[in-house]
Amino acid sequence: MANLSSSKPDFSGQTALAGIASSTSANPDGGAIGLVFGEMAHLGKLNLRGQNGLAKAVKAVTGCTFPPKANRFQSAGDRHVVWLGPDEYLLLCEAGKEQELQDSLHSMITSSHFAVTDVSDSLCALSLRGPAVRAVLAKGCGLDLHPTQFAAGQSAQSLLALSAVTLMAVADDAFILICRTSFAPYVQRWLADASLEYGYQYIA
Amino acid sequence: MLIITCPFCGPRDEVEFACGGEAHIARPLADHKISDADFADYLFMRDNPKGLFLERWRHSAGCRRWFNVARDTVSNEIVEIYPMGSLPVKTAAKTTYKTSWRRDTAAEKAATPSRSKAGGSK
Repeated sequence: MANLSSSKPDFSGQTALAGIASSTSANPDGGAIGLVFGEMAHLGKLNLRGQNGLAKAVKAVTGCTFPPKANRFQSAGDRHVVWLGPDEYLLLCEAGKEQELQDSLHSMITSSHFAVTDVSDSLCALSLRGPAVRAVLAKGCGLDLHPTQFAAGQSAQSLLALSAVTLMAVADDAFILICRTSFAPYVQRWLADASLEYGYQYIA
Repeated sequence: MLIITCPFCGPRDEVEFACGGEAHIARPLADHKISDADFADYLFMRDNPKGLFLERWRHSAGCRRWFNVARDTVSNEIVEIYPMGSLPVKTAAKTTYKTSWRRDTAAEKAATPSRSKAGGSK
């Protein structure tokens, strides 16, 4: 595989939410804004399949303990390893670093059965924070999102307003939401609508 | 709505799951050795019982993994959830498996190498 890591990342392509401008809606109660959200543009995403012999390589390239427990994720700085299934994980990394990460994993993993797939443009990641973040998500998601049941470090794949999403609780009032690129404009508009009563700020 | 306990993700809403129909239908290895009528048992005939039913489910909006469920079609009670490729262990579900009409079909008998009249596939 060609090593493209030395070339500068080219971000000329549009992201899923490139056409949606920043917008703000004040909290009707006059209080603090309930939800501040924005696209994590060009966030690197790799899908990793495999069972044995991956821990050392993943630890070396991401710094994250591997494997994460079911429905949890491990973080090291800007890099996260998310559990997706008993032999499937999602690696998140800084924008533009995914090719380098993929090459490193390919060269370091000695196990015969594994696959690393760049899914950066297939999925759209949104960063959500604010005091109302759990209340907004709970409007469209069947998961128990109470902080004691869905604490920081936990993740889940579920449905948000009928679209398949991966939710990662980064803190009590901060989430990373990952959805299909094609669903991203819908999810963005749904979030804006659902957070009207708390006030929102969308940062393009 | 049912709460189904995914073996990997734990209890989740039914909307996250997809039902894959009857479980434990083995494909005849030597399908050319059995009659069309017997092959139809494998290909077309599906059970529709009133009572305990063994079926396959997939956590389609979650971890996307398949598993087996023993569910009562009258009360919707889930008696047992067990992995793909294995048989139920609870007595009621075990009885349902053993007494199914499918166990006596030529299609199923031709599905395992040892029981196949053709001697299995190589």
